[in-house]
Amino acid sequence: MPVVELAGVTKAYENKIAVNDLSLSIDAGQMFGLLGPNGAGKTSSIRMMMGITIPDSGRVNLFGKPFQRESLDHVGYLPEERGLYKKMKVIEQLVFFGQLHGLSPDDARKRSTAWAERMEIADALNKKTDELSKGMQQKIQFISCLLHEPGLIVMDEPFSGLDPVNAVLVEKTLLELKDRGNAILFSTHRMDQVEKLCDAICLINNGEAVLEGNLREIKGRYERNRIIVEFEGNPAFLNSEEIAEAKNYSGHAEIRLKPHGNAQKLLHEAAGMATIYRFEMVEPSLEEIFIQTVGGKANA
Amino acid sequence: MRNTMLIAKREYLEQVRGRAFRLSTIGLPALFAVIIGVGYVASLGLGANKHLVIMANDAALADAIRTQIVSDKDGTPNVDVAAPATPDTRAQLIRQVQSKAIEGFLSVETQPGGLPKASYTAQSSGDFITNDRLKQALNDGMVTERLAGSGMRPAEADALVKGISIETFQVKKDGSVVRSNAQASFWKGYVMALLLSMTTLIYGLNVARSIIQEKTSRIFEVMLATVKPSDMLAGKLIGVGAVGLTQIAIWLVAGAAIMVTPFAEAMLTGQYAVHFSWAEGILFPVYFLLGYLLYSSLFAGLAATCETEQELQMYMPLAAAPTWLSFALIILIINDSNSVWSIAASLFPPTAPIIMFLRMASEMPPVWQFAVSIGLMVVSIWATLWFSSRLYRVGILMYGKRATLPELVRWLRYS
Repeated sequence: MPVVELAGVTKAYENKIAVNDLSLSIDAGQMFGLLGPNGAGKTSSIRMMMGITIPDSGRVNLFGKPFQRESLDHVGYLPEERGLYKKMKVIEQLVFFGQLHGLSPDDARKRSTAWAERMEIADALNKKTDELSKGMQQKIQFISCLLHEPGLIVMDEPFSGLDPVNAVLVEKTLLELKDRGNAILFSTHRMDQVEKLCDAICLINNGEAVLEGNLREIKGRYERNRIIVEFEGNPAFLNSEEIAEAKNYSGHAEIRLKPHGNAQKLLHEAAGMATIYRFEMVEPSLEEIFIQTVGGKANA
Repeated sequence: MRNTMLIAKREYLEQVRGRAFRLSTIGLPALFAVIIGVGYVASLGLGANKHLVIMANDAALADAIRTQIVSDKDGTPNVDVAAPATPDTRAQLIRQVQSKAIEGFLSVETQPGGLPKASYTAQSSGDFITNDRLKQALNDGMVTERLAGSGMRPAEADALVKGISIETFQVKKDGSVVRSNAQASFWKGYVMALLLSMTTLIYGLNVARSIIQEKTSRIFEVMLATVKPSDMLAGKLIGVGAVGLTQIAIWLVAGAAIMVTPFAEAMLTGQYAVHFSWAEGILFPVYFLLGYLLYSSLFAGLAATCETEQELQMYMPLAAAPTWLSFALIILIINDSNSVWSIAASLFPPTAPIIMFLRMASEMPPVWQFAVSIGLMVVSIWATLWFSSRLYRVGILMYGKRATLPELVRWLRYS
């Protein structure tokens, strides 16, 4: 049973179709990446999942049931537009959000303290929010989504505003939650993070899903026509007839073969001219797939 | 309901703990006290220490006018008499006025068989208070002199022109008769109405300001993932309304404490007798709550369409208009608190809270009028909430620009 299921969902604002006939599903224990250029319809899709807006047509199911507000008690949501009460103390703020999700004040306080220690912001608990850095505020919001131990975690651009150290901390936490069986959906522009974290993706453009499914399967659909070569000696083999494009970075070359180009023949040519330390056929990166799929069609 | 109360509690605690609440709780009554006190103290000194000269060809009349002027306990001018006046007296006095040796001079020329001609020449032409006092003194002095001239003893004549003051009493609904003072009653009603209009506006605008702050801090989307927009709005209205009631409760308790002091007791039983009834004590918070809900629900919807507090300012005249209208009707209410216009204004929801208190100051309106006015206000609040909640739930997620009128109409149509 999918934790989230969107079936043929459509939403239009004024004269613009924000989401058009979008279908996707996320299972428990799955990390799902929602990708797309700016204005593609990611936030609109997430808002419908959260019941903030209502689809014009189609169906949204949460935990196997048609959307109902009660289901949101089991959802943790970090919106793209972050917001905290600036004049409230961090601990009071976390307890407030915990209570809104049905926790008792004591329970909310205990969990907030434990999460603050885990996210390395325990010192900030008694400070007012506006005294904290943007990254700290981001972590507080991250905690507020998780206090009530939601089965589904929805995060819109969760890594924006975080330095590399804190981004790794958030990544690690998300992976732990996934291992515990939580379904996690996040939208991002950072393809490296999607490659590292996600099991499945949905790439949307102009409100429509243009690529959807298991990340390995998607990558498998693309030809392995990229080769990384590390060598010492004559680089003349980079002019081979098998090659469509080659970039040489002083002994490290990135090669794209012509359609039906022969990698074995190229290896043979290279070995005759230089000492080869590495010759690896690699699958296309998600970034390449993204650019190839969305190409010039992106709105932003 | 649980989430509504949580939001109300958060809103209440944030505002009550804020500096603005402490300042306005103490500051607003203090401001009233200072304004009234300054006005009173300033009026005591009006006309004091002014050096005036009475120039007349009739010395007895000049003396009679002088006696009247110096007997005025509100103004204690230094008055000289130049009588009988010679042809040079006027020129001399003008020179004294010019050199600021005297403030001004009153010239009285008696004419055989007619009324005297009088003029006042002074440094300032705008001192109408002194002008009025001189006019009164001239008339009283002339009557006294004429009465004395026709054989009446001066003390008797003087007592006659002083006039007789009237004590006022009011018959209450229960038949009891209490000493009252129309002026004091009016000022009591006026101050209560002013306090009511100020608190209603302040807290109505607090709701609007709080919505704009939340919109600016982008907290709505976080909240909407757990709470319905209608619950959020209800929580905000309850929370801020409770802050207002807390402030009024503090004022009532402090007012009651002050009233048992000997000073206040003297005030309440003397010439300026002011009576506060239980009905006024109960109706004040009731009308505050109704007025507050009407204004705040309207402003909540409008605030959701704005991006900044500056944009909200555009709607300020809308908030102030009923208050201006209410206070513009004061003369009408004083003249006849039971006229059709007075009753209509006290039933019309936007002006009802203020007008009711102004009417109550002169006479307690019948119970059915309170019932109708409260009923109409409840219906208006319901209609305003319907309108505002539609603007609110769309507006809080709209960022970037202020909504245009056609957009607002479209928002209202969204179900």
